[in-house]
Amino acid sequence: MPVHDDLSAPEVIADPYPYFHQLRAEDPVHWNPKWGGWILTRYDDVQWAFQDRRLSADRMTPFMRGLPPHEAEELRPSFDIFSRWMVFTDPPTHTRLRMLVNKAFTPRRVEGLRSRIQAIVDELLDALSDRRQIELIRDFAYILPVTVIAELLGVPPHDRELIKRCSDEITLFIFGAIGVEDRRQRAQHALLELVAYLRGIIEARRRAPRDDLISALLAAKERDDLLSEEEIIATCVLILFGGHETTTNLISSSVLALLRHPDQMRLLRDNPQLITTAVEEFLRYDGPSKAMVRFALEDCELRGKQIRAGQRLLLVQSAANRDPEQFPDPDRLDITRQPNPHVAFGYGIHFCLGAPLARLETQIAINTILRRLPGLRLATEHLEWHPTIVSRALTALPVAF
Amino acid sequence: MRRLRISVDRAKCVASTLCVHTAPAVFALDATGKSSVVNPAGDTEEHILAAAEGCPVSAIVVEDADTGERLFP
Repeated sequence: MPVHDDLSAPEVIADPYPYFHQLRAEDPVHWNPKWGGWILTRYDDVQWAFQDRRLSADRMTPFMRGLPPHEAEELRPSFDIFSRWMVFTDPPTHTRLRMLVNKAFTPRRVEGLRSRIQAIVDELLDALSDRRQIELIRDFAYILPVTVIAELLGVPPHDRELIKRCSDEITLFIFGAIGVEDRRQRAQHALLELVAYLRGIIEARRRAPRDDLISALLAAKERDDLLSEEEIIATCVLILFGGHETTTNLISSSVLALLRHPDQMRLLRDNPQLITTAVEEFLRYDGPSKAMVRFALEDCELRGKQIRAGQRLLLVQSAANRDPEQFPDPDRLDITRQPNPHVAFGYGIHFCLGAPLARLETQIAINTILRRLPGLRLATEHLEWHPTIVSRALTALPVAF
Repeated sequence: MRRLRISVDRAKCVASTLCVHTAPAVFALDATGKSSVVNPAGDTEEHILAAAEGCPVSAIVVEDADTGERLFP
């Protein structure tokens, strides 16, 4: 076993890939005692686990069952929201919720947002034009996705500070921040603030519908009674949250990947049409979702290991995406790589709803940054990553140009 | 109703099953877990085009089987 068989060890947080390579080579279905679950690191195993119906996406119910009664009661309001997130549900509930919002996120619908996204990117970079050094996440990468998703949902963009503040706190619960005291209580406080805010917007749209997703969800409720009021609220929170935390991280890790591979940065700057395969490679090489959790509903066997009902599994997308049996020379960043069947957006029924939007935002953001900031370079060699097991997120990315 | 030619790009398919839920008589997951066309005449053109548009990775192509006209994308 690895010297440090610890998902949250500082060196694994800083660079998880050597640890995952070692696991994949030595014990691809690995019981990790510290985390208390199975770690899957092979591409084909991760793909299997995303599809096998004996593995449930409902992590909230087992989590709540595992809490002492007083804490479970205290966190009931969080559970009432999160348990209605489609990412934490299985069919048929998942199917119903996903089908209702899918129309708003199809590649064709998202393509219709291209000029608006370009305009937001240009405005953000205009505002930075007299600066020589910026913190790319704070000054750019977080503002773009939250602005886009707020507009799509129908939330006034000037309230994005509230959305961002609440979202950041919700990550403490959802992504799990190692070592933060009272993180679930803090997350719940922010969650309830966001819910109260959304209730106001929903009431306004009920009285006067607009051309936005909240109005569309309300219309679906009125028309076919396909979803409850609580499901509308939970879905709005999910879309606001999921709509930008991960995209922010993708944009910043993409910029970092290019800064660390000047040949690839030059290639992309000279050939902006390569952006489509480039973004797929950024997703594969250092994507924002390191792993997803599933719970076994029944006993199952994988590579001779007995997985018992009730045990949890970590499907490590970051490891699958660097599996040498699937990707030749997996540790090399190659923005022309094709085919590139990475699982950065997951696989199967929970394949990321927002994938087309995340792709488009990142494509536009990266190409515009390369065009407008020709001297782009790292302003520090000291970078830190948020200490979480499931997400890959820089804390800051200072750049100069 | 015109005859349609429907194809699924298996290299792109991510098994979201959204097409299967939109037009269940037309699409089904095969043994490898990827979507495939089981009956191109199994549903209305409206539902088939909705399935093609709803695919998150644009893996579905729909054409007029007689004229070859591209209907989606």
